[in-house]
Amino acid sequence: MKKEKIKNQLSTKQEITWCPGCLNFSILESVKNTIADLIKEKKYNKKDFAFVTGIGCHAKIFDYLNLSGFYGLHGRVLPTALGIKIGNPNLKVLGFGGDGDTYSEGISHFIHAFRYNADMTMIVHDNQSFSLTTGQATATSQKGFKTKAEPFGEIHEPLNPVKIALACGGSFIARCNPLDIKHTSLILRKAIEHKGFSYVEMIQKCLIFNPEMNNLDKLMYKVKDNTDYKKAQKLVEEWDYNSNKGKIPLGILYKSKKQIFEEKYPQLKKMLK
Amino acid sequence: MQLVLSDIAKHLNNKFFFFNYKMRLNILIGGEAGQGANTIAEIVSDILVNYGYYVFNYKDYQSLIRGGHNFNIISISEKPIASYESKLDIILAMDKKTIDLHKNFLDKKGIVINARKFENFKRNMNLASLGSLIKILGIDKEVFISRIKKKFKNKECVIASQSGFDSQKNLFNFKRIKNKIYLMSGSEGVAEGAVSSGLNRYIAYPMTPATPVMHRLAAMQNNKQNNLMVFQAENEIAVINSALGASFAGANVMVGTSGGGFDLMSEGLSLQGMLEIPLTVYLASRAGPATGVPTYNSQADLNVALRAGHGEFPRVIVAPGDSLDSFQLTNQALYLSSKLNVLSIILSDKNVAESQFSFSESVKRGILKIVKNRKIPSEGFVKVSSYEHDKFGNTIEDAELVVKGYENRLRKYNELKKACSKFNMFKIYGKKNSKNLVMGWGSTKGVILDTIDNLDCKFLQILYLKPMSDKIKKELEKVENIILVEYNSTGQLGRLIREKTGIKILEKNRILKYDTRPFASDELKNEIKRRLR
Repeated sequence: MKKEKIKNQLSTKQEITWCPGCLNFSILESVKNTIADLIKEKKYNKKDFAFVTGIGCHAKIFDYLNLSGFYGLHGRVLPTALGIKIGNPNLKVLGFGGDGDTYSEGISHFIHAFRYNADMTMIVHDNQSFSLTTGQATATSQKGFKTKAEPFGEIHEPLNPVKIALACGGSFIARCNPLDIKHTSLILRKAIEHKGFSYVEMIQKCLIFNPEMNNLDKLMYKVKDNTDYKKAQKLVEEWDYNSNKGKIPLGILYKSKKQIFEEKYPQLKKMLK
Repeated sequence: MQLVLSDIAKHLNNKFFFFNYKMRLNILIGGEAGQGANTIAEIVSDILVNYGYYVFNYKDYQSLIRGGHNFNIISISEKPIASYESKLDIILAMDKKTIDLHKNFLDKKGIVINARKFENFKRNMNLASLGSLIKILGIDKEVFISRIKKKFKNKECVIASQSGFDSQKNLFNFKRIKNKIYLMSGSEGVAEGAVSSGLNRYIAYPMTPATPVMHRLAAMQNNKQNNLMVFQAENEIAVINSALGASFAGANVMVGTSGGGFDLMSEGLSLQGMLEIPLTVYLASRAGPATGVPTYNSQADLNVALRAGHGEFPRVIVAPGDSLDSFQLTNQALYLSSKLNVLSIILSDKNVAESQFSFSESVKRGILKIVKNRKIPSEGFVKVSSYEHDKFGNTIEDAELVVKGYENRLRKYNELKKACSKFNMFKIYGKKNSKNLVMGWGSTKGVILDTIDNLDCKFLQILYLKPMSDKIKKELEKVENIILVEYNSTGQLGRLIREKTGIKILEKNRILKYDTRPFASDELKNEIKRRLR
């Protein structure tokens, strides 16, 4: 089957309600590209996939992606995705979360996900703001971000999620600029094919609520797939999520081999195909 | 009157010591946490059950690991019992505190076994004193020692047990009787019931008094007959969301917790209501609010079980009163949840979960297997959503379609009510034509049954709190006098009955106990007696 036909089958007829120009369109395109390639190459069937979304702008992807899916609760993508693996370890599970979802409401699950290292992928649409609730600061918003909830500006410094991921023993930590669909598709493919928990952070603009952080492209550069821990420590600290200065490395910031969740439990291991 | 061991011989001629099997014998075994009181209480209960006697073993322990004061009360009878009496016949004391705290409840002719006599056995002091107790009861030495050998593969344990046994003379004469009796805690009932139903995933975070079910199921893993997996998640929010994920993927799932953890799960319960995939929650309640009295009992979580989770969606709530109920109702809860894709809550309490009950009926009859009444991802396309959605799982906000969603959930509740009516949603015990009716649920069952034997009253045990059987109203209208017994301070069942039937229970007829300890049967008998007409 031709790739375009598969991509069509991965689409739905639901009306897309993202803002015009939203980077969520590019993320959706990259995801369809990647999955269509994998199906075309007969690596997987459509029914091998299941995806989970949280709640927020990102999560509308649930209605636009024609795969088995679970529209979950805000902040709970990771435990839901892990549950799917506990129920059927053979499903290829993709999680989609926002920055509010993953780093504010659900941060405890994010930390534990690296410990468990289940063979699944988490894609975070990080636009550094709560946008579907009309623009409040999340855990990755820059200091000084003026919102209706904080009219004098966000007073706290952002947390650095890729640094947390590395500190928690992440076995696949990547960052993408969704505007670059080709590179994003390539990284997503490597994430899905990684044996273990793969985490992909999308640096996504919010055109409406946080325009101050929309001019980061010129700071971005691509790194080669990195397996060196010392180098990874430097890469994750290059950008602090706070300023529009410095350099923002994209690509696989760190990758390592670790035992996966499904092989730690004999009950799951014997179910693996 | 207290006796020390050397004095016992003098009392051998006292007629009390010829145990009348129609009577009950109440033995308290107490000591500091870590001294092994519970271990020996379970051994003596097990031996007596194998001898054909009914045994009730109540476990009273504090929220600490070493020190403090823990005790068990074992009640023994030839007839079915599921409570203890306030009068004690034997106190086996590992420390002075046990004697000081309980001597006022010792029968005038009662005995104290002072375990400190066996201090030279160090860690096995409990087994030596158990040996004494076993000999006093008149149980065969070989039965005892082989039981010890089976449990402890250690010579010192056997020597201590033997020495304790040989240091005594028998005062009672327990003979084997022809009864096949089973001994089981409520937690074991839930675990065994769940696995027999076909459960294959249990997800939980530790919380007293729900944890024994997790321990029991964990021990049943990696067995050829099941592919059971127990997963301890990072918190209760992860537990409930993982459980829904696993259910979506096709697993037969149950989660377990107590009040505080159940509160954390609330949003997930509501999510189940929208997703319509099977989920069973084991809720073992303890005394709240907040951390409350964590190792003691309460029935104050009926309201939260009925109402937790925002929005309106169907659910079933069953309340076991002992271990046999725990087995059967867990089976029914899992079955109903899978059949109708609804939320099932097994509402137990600490005294059901952690007491050992004895019964003569085998549990292995009439077990319903969990069914699969939904499509799962590996079979093809399936979408479930927390948003109001159409039949394909797509998000909708259109008013007409929203109404359809509501109507589906209302229809499901009616189907559920019909499905539940095939089971015993309540039970009536005692004098069927009496004008007095005692009403209760959960762990009050055993003590009420032991109490009403010679009284002019019947007992209505409510097993299904939601849906509630319409027949209950008729039962209540038949009688002149309704007495409510609950372990909470507001009479939550009484309020629910008023909501469902319009029948108000008189203030003076509400027997509410909220000191977090169970009723002794004689204590409850006095309370009920003075309210009878």
